Amino acid sequence: MSAAAPAATDPVEPLDVDLVKRSQAGDTRAFDLLVTRYRSRIYAMTYHLIQNETEAWDLAQEAFIKAWRALPNFKLDAAFYTWLYRIAHNVTYDWLRKKKIQGDGEFDDERTEHRAAPGSRTAPQGFDAPDRAMKRQELGSRIHEAIARLSADHRQAIVLREIEGLSYEEIAEMMKCSLGTVMSRLFYARKKLQEMLKDTYENPV
Amino acid sequence: MKTPSDENHDLIRWLDGEMTADERRAFEATLQNDPELAAEAESMRQLSESLKTHLPAEMPVPHADFFNSQIQVRIAQMELDEAREREKAAESTAGWLSWLRMPWLAGAAAAAFAIAGLVWTQNSSNGTSTIASTYTPNPSVHAQVFHSSDAQATVLMLDGLEPVPAEKKIVGFRVHRAESDAEVATTTLFDENGSVLAVVALNAKGQPQVLK
Repeated sequence: MSAAAPAATDPVEPLDVDLVKRSQAGDTRAFDLLVTRYRSRIYAMTYHLIQNETEAWDLAQEAFIKAWRALPNFKLDAAFYTWLYRIAHNVTYDWLRKKKIQGDGEFDDERTEHRAAPGSRTAPQGFDAPDRAMKRQELGSRIHEAIARLSADHRQAIVLREIEGLSYEEIAEMMKCSLGTVMSRLFYARKKLQEMLKDTYENPV
Repeated sequence: MKTPSDENHDLIRWLDGEMTADERRAFEATLQNDPELAAEAESMRQLSESLKTHLPAEMPVPHADFFNSQIQVRIAQMELDEAREREKAAESTAGWLSWLRMPWLAGAAAAAFAIAGLVWTQNSSNGTSTIASTYTPNPSVHAQVFHSSDAQATVLMLDGLEPVPAEKKIVGFRVHRAESDAEVATTTLFDENGSVLAVVALNAKGQPQVLK
């Protein structure tokens, strides 16, 4: 899995595998070190998928709790982060399914026209900011808003590919769908983002 | 002939570097002859770069120390809850014959008169018990014993018993403790008040026999 974070390489820092073994023996301090090491990545993933700080915080925590419970069954046959990431993704995916979060007027696999109102918050607007830094910040906010408006499936596909760098096969496995569906979701998710961020590229930063 | 869906997939696979070298060369040749497709590809490439720039793979966790401490608190609480559950389970199964008081087993056992005989040795110093053997007078009944030291419980499974009417009653014993006397090869069962419930010994054939 290309999304896997490298285990600690600092000679002073204990290796993941050592921390995992200590955690499996019940050492909660070792697990605390693993939490500290990976919380930023897990939180970023849940945040990008949920687009809500509080919920993302809770889900990231839930992922670590589930990981602790499942640790006795972890055979160390994969990198710890890869294993943890899957748990976090499943926790978030289940949450999304329960909440049935739907982007308003998102592109889906069968439909290519969107219904985003021209005057809505996500509608493209010109840059008024006087300097590039502010423009970048504005672009970042706009991208976050656009991502939030995608359907849960499209958002997941984009996050797994663009941020985590997963291959199509890995995304298909993670999302329990076919390769064709992965490609369709990526295509339509990008089409929708393109539409929502259209003038960004007409007035590049 | 390629469908629109195939073309979309080609564009996506090119963008994500999921094409083979030959496929990539062929697609890039197509891009040179199709300005509209080339513009679309360039637009998507820019979008992809923007996403990578503005959606970080790591984000600082708000109240990070609290995040960690909450996890520790929850783990501690979970383990406490599990310990209580184990304790509760051990209490409810204290005494290896408490299964005799279970309604589902009482009926079946009463019908067959086939109470399995158990012989065990008990080490009074550490309180652990070992199941030595099982015996059922009815050969069609198969007895299995499962003992858990953690739960301080022993479960006896009897297969092959005839179904019995629910109104059948059986009297069970709740054995609080047992003492084995190695010299005379007997085991004495006591109730919660310290009264003797039964004394079990092996007969000449090695089968358990209730002496009292």
